[in-house]
Amino acid sequence: AYDAQTVLRGGIAVYFPRDPVARDRIELRLGNMISGCGCLPNKSPLFFQTSLSGSFPASVWQPKVRLTTAKRGPLFPCVKCEKKDKEEDSSEKPSFEKLSVERAPYHSYRDSISGQVEPASGARASILGQDYLPEGTVGQARAAGAPGPSDESSGTSSYGKKPGSRRKTYKAAGAVSESTEMNTVVDQVVEDDGLFERSEEEANDEFSDFVVYQKENETDELTGYDLDKKLGRPHPFIDPKVRKPIKEPLTSEELWWNWRKPDKEQWSRWQRKRPDSETVFLKAMAESGQIKLYGEEPTLTETALYRARRHLYKEERLQAEHDRLEKEGPIAYYSEWVKAWKKDTSREAIQKHYEETGEDENTQLIEMFSCQTAREYRIMMGTDYRVSRDPLAMRMKEEQIKQIWGGDPVYPTVNYIQDPDQVIDFRGPDFHEPTPNVLAYLQQNGNITSREEMDKILAGEKVEQVKVKTPFSDDEAMAKAVDIGEKEDSDDEGKFGDDENITRNWSVLKTTPELRKSKPKPARGKGKMTLEEAIADSENLTDFLLDFDQDKRGRHESTVLSAFHPQKILTVCSSFGLEDDFMLWYIIIAGTVSKYHKSKTCSSN
Amino acid sequence: MASSILLQQSIICNTQFGKSIKNGWGATKSNFLEKGKKIGDIKARVAVDAMETAASPTAFPFFQTQPQQQDTPASKLELADPEFYKMGFVRSMRAYGVEFREGPNGFGVYASKDIEPSRRAKVVMEIPLELMLTISQKTPWMFFPDIIPVGHPIFDIINSTNPETDWDLRMACLLLYAFDHDKNFWQLYGDFLPSAEECTSLLLATEDDLKELHDDDLASTMRKEKARAREFWEKNWHYGMPLKVKRLARDPERFIWAVSMAQTRHINFRIRVGSLVQDANMFAPYADMLNHSCQPNCFFHWRFRDRMFEVMTNAGQRIKKGEEMTVNYMKGQRNNMLMQRYGFSSLSNPWDVLPFSGNAKIHLDSFLSVFNISGSHEDYYHNAKIANEGDSFVDGAVLAAARTLPTWSDGDIPPIPSLEIKAVKTLQQECQQFLAEYSTTSKQDQKILDSTPEMSWTREAAIKYRLHRKLFVEKVIEALDIYQDRILF
Repeated sequence: AYDAQTVLRGGIAVYFPRDPVARDRIELRLGNMISGCGCLPNKSPLFFQTSLSGSFPASVWQPKVRLTTAKRGPLFPCVKCEKKDKEEDSSEKPSFEKLSVERAPYHSYRDSISGQVEPASGARASILGQDYLPEGTVGQARAAGAPGPSDESSGTSSYGKKPGSRRKTYKAAGAVSESTEMNTVVDQVVEDDGLFERSEEEANDEFSDFVVYQKENETDELTGYDLDKKLGRPHPFIDPKVRKPIKEPLTSEELWWNWRKPDKEQWSRWQRKRPDSETVFLKAMAESGQIKLYGEEPTLTETALYRARRHLYKEERLQAEHDRLEKEGPIAYYSEWVKAWKKDTSREAIQKHYEETGEDENTQLIEMFSCQTAREYRIMMGTDYRVSRDPLAMRMKEEQIKQIWGGDPVYPTVNYIQDPDQVIDFRGPDFHEPTPNVLAYLQQNGNITSREEMDKILAGEKVEQVKVKTPFSDDEAMAKAVDIGEKEDSDDEGKFGDDENITRNWSVLKTTPELRKSKPKPARGKGKMTLEEAIADSENLTDFLLDFDQDKRGRHESTVLSAFHPQKILTVCSSFGLEDDFMLWYIIIAGTVSKYHKSKTCSSN
Repeated sequence: MASSILLQQSIICNTQFGKSIKNGWGATKSNFLEKGKKIGDIKARVAVDAMETAASPTAFPFFQTQPQQQDTPASKLELADPEFYKMGFVRSMRAYGVEFREGPNGFGVYASKDIEPSRRAKVVMEIPLELMLTISQKTPWMFFPDIIPVGHPIFDIINSTNPETDWDLRMACLLLYAFDHDKNFWQLYGDFLPSAEECTSLLLATEDDLKELHDDDLASTMRKEKARAREFWEKNWHYGMPLKVKRLARDPERFIWAVSMAQTRHINFRIRVGSLVQDANMFAPYADMLNHSCQPNCFFHWRFRDRMFEVMTNAGQRIKKGEEMTVNYMKGQRNNMLMQRYGFSSLSNPWDVLPFSGNAKIHLDSFLSVFNISGSHEDYYHNAKIANEGDSFVDGAVLAAARTLPTWSDGDIPPIPSLEIKAVKTLQQECQQFLAEYSTTSKQDQKILDSTPEMSWTREAAIKYRLHRKLFVEKVIEALDIYQDRILF
C-alpha cells in the first residue's frame, strides 16, 4: 500500500520512495503521532514552512508528510507549540542551523542557486535519482550536491614557506613569541626609516635566492598614449606623436612623375629577402674567397648573376662534354667508364672492325657496355655517392647547410615551399622611374609609320588588295602564296636596315647603342642568315611552329624566329596595307616556308 | 554516565599534531551509553514505543535533544579555517557529512550529521589523485601526479635512497619538492600541516625528551633514525648542490621536519592507475587529518574509475553527529611502535605486551569469561551485551592483558581456584617489579603533565608514553584483582 503512492497535496503529485526503511519509519511515525498526546516534538523548520505559509519546499518529499488530511488537522497546534521551543533553542544557539529531521543521506541536497534544500530524487528534482542516472554518474551527481564551503578565511597562504602557519594553534603559540619579535623589529625599522630608506630592500635581497636583474619598481612611468594603450583605455590607433598628417592626395599622373625613392628601403617586412639556397651559397662562396660580395648580404642582382652564371657554366661544361663526344666518337668517349674494355677505341679501329665483322658502331658500343660493371655505371651516370659533387657544399658550415636543407634530408623544412625556378623580379627599387619614350624614338628613326601615312599607303594599295584577294578561293590562295612569299622576302631584305636585326631586348639595345657595337660582326654574321638557310635548317613546319617561341634551338632558330616574328610580319603587312589580313599572310608565308623546305630537301637528296 | 566516558576520552584524546589517538573502546561504549540515554528520553516523552525503539537498530532522530548535541567531542573544538576545505573543494575534493575541526591538540574529522547504518560502506571523503603525492614503494620510482620533471636533481636524490628502508626520506624529498613546485596544491595545504613545534614525532624530540621516555630501546632507535635523516641531508644538501635542490631544505631542521611528516602522515596503499597496479606511499590531503583509533569507524578505499582516494565509513555502523571519524593507522602494533612512527601512545592499546618471564599461568577461559571477552585470540572484543550495565572497566588494556598474560587452557579442565589465586599473586608481583623499574610513578607523571601546561609537544608525548605504560601495568594488576575476586563465583 505504500509503494510509490501518489498523494495529491496542494494539487501537486508527490512520489514516495520504495525504500523499506523509509516505509518503516513512516509507520513508526504514524504510530507515534496517533498515540502521542499531541505535543509532537517535531522540530523541522521546513515542516513549519510547509504547514504555515503553504509554500512548497523540499520537505514534502519526506515521508512524514504522508498523512491524510483528517489526521493532519489536530496536529497543527502541536506544531505551533513546538515552534516556541525551537525559537528558544535558536536563541540559545543561533549559529547552529537545526535540521534535526533525519533524512536519508543523499536524497536531498542544498541547491546552491536557490539556497534551499531540494529533493535529489523524484519527479520535480533537478537531479534525478540514482536509478535514473547513467552508470558512473552517480558519484558526479553526489559530488555536485555536496555543499561547498561558504565562509571566508582571514589568513593567507605562505605557499609552502611556513608549514602549519594557518593552524589555529600555530597562531596562538607563535603569536606570543612573534609579537615580541615583531615589536622590536618594528621599532628598529621606525628608527632606521629616516636614516636609510633602502634598508628594507637590502634586507629582502639577502634572503632571496635569485639573481635579480631588474627591480620591479623600476618601471618607467607611462603617460598619455602609452598608459592608455597599456591599460586598454580608449586610445587612437596610431601614436599621435609619431603620426604624420596626410596631405592632399596627389593624382595618379602627379604620382607617376613625382615618384621618389622611399626613405627606408624596406618599408614592409614582406619586402625582406627570403633565404634561399642561392643566397646561402653566395655567402659561403664569399666566405671561402671565391667571389666578392658588395655588402654583407648578396643583393638581388648578385644572386641573379650567380644563378645565371651557374646555369651558363653548367651549360658550357655540358656542351664541352658533348663536343668531346662528337669528336671522339661514342665508343672512345664512354670507354672511360669501361675499364675492362682494352680494345682500341679509335675511329679507324672501329671502322676496321666494322669492315671485318659487319658490326656497326652501335653494336660495338653495346658490346662494350656489356663489359661495364655496376659501379662504373653508377659513376658514369653520376649517381655514385662517393663522388663529392660540390666541394663548396661539402665544406659549408652546419648552420649554412641547415639554412638550405633545414637539417632534415627527408623533409627539408626551410626552403621547402620555395619554388626553385622562381623568376626574380629584376625591376629593383627604381622600377617606377619613367622609361624613355619609345614611341618618339621610333618615330624619330622612321621605324614607325604614322596613321596618316598608313592611310595614304592603304588608299594607294586598296585596289590591288582587292584584286589579290577576291579571285582566289582559300585553297588557291595557298597555291599562289609561293609567289607572294618570294616577293615579300625580297622586299624584306631591301626595306629594313641594320636596326631590324635587333630582335630581342630591343628596348634595351636601342637605348644603349654601346651594347650593340661591342660585338658587331660575329653576332651579326650568325644572325645575318638568309631566309633560305633558315628554312633549310628547320626540319618541318610543325617543329618550326612548336619551337617558335622558345629559344631552345640555338642560333639557327633564333634567326628564323627573327625572320618570322609575328611583329615583323605585321609590320610588313601593314606596310603593304594588309594589316587586317595579318593572320592570313602569316599562314601564307608559313606555307611558303614548308613548300620551300620540301623542295630543298628533295633537291639535296 | 556519559560524562564520565567523555572525561576519559578527553584524557586519552591527546591529539598532538593533527593525528590523535582515541580510545576506540570508549567510542563504542559511549555509543552504547548514548543509546541508553536516548531510551530514557523517549520514556519521558512517549512511553508506548520505548521498547520498540530500544530494540530497533535505527535511532530515532526525531527525538534528538539539544543538550546531547553539545556533549559530542566535536562541539569542544572549533571548525577549521574555511579555506582549508575550500581549497580542496575547488579542486574536486569532497567531504560528505563530515567536517574538519581544530582543537588545541590539532585537527580531527568529525561527523557533521548522523550517518545511518547501511549495508554498504558510505563515502565520506573523496580525494582526487591530483591532490595527492604518491611515490611507488619499489623501483622504478613512479610519481602520481608526476610532478618531478625529468632530469631534476631531486630525482637523483630519491633514486639514491635504499629502496627497502628509506621510504620516509623519499617521501620527505617529494613533500619538500611539492612545496617548491609552482601552483602545487601542497603549497596551500602545507599551511595546515603541523609545524615543527607542533609535531610530536620523536624525530623532532630533543635528547632530554628521549630520556623522558624511560625506554632505552625506543630512545636509541629514535637517535638512529634522527642520525639517518641528518646524514641524508648532509649528503644531498651540501654546498655544491644546485639551487633548486638547496632551497628545498636550507637547514637540516626543515628536512627532518619533512621526514617526520612522512613518517606520521604517510599512507601505504595499493592504487591502480589505468592498468598499472602499484603499492604506493602516499600523502593524501584531508585523509591524513583522520586520527587513529584501534576501533576505527572509517577505512580507506581506492576508487579506480576516476582515481579518487575515498574515506568510507564501516558498513552497518552508526555514527552520530559530532563523533570523530577515525582510521586504524597500524594494526597489531605495540605502543612503542606507534610512538616511534607517529609520536603518540595509547592508554588502551589492545596489542600492548608485558614481558612476563615467570612460570605462573592463569586459566585463559576463566579470565575471558570474567571480563566478557569474546572472539578468537586475534580479535578479542568486549561483548557488551552480556556485560553488566555500568561496567566500564573493560577496555583495550584488558584485551591486551588477555593476550599478554601467560595463560593455560586444556580442554574443559576447570581451574583450581587456589592455584589460580597463587598464579595471580605471582603475576601481580611481577607487574610490581615492572613498575619499580621506573624512576617515577604514574601519579608523579600525571602531576608533571598537569603542573606544566606549556611543555613542548614532544616532551609531553614522551611523558605520556611512560605514563601510559605504567597505567597499563596498573590496569593489568587491577584486572588480576578483579579476576581473583570473581573466579570463585
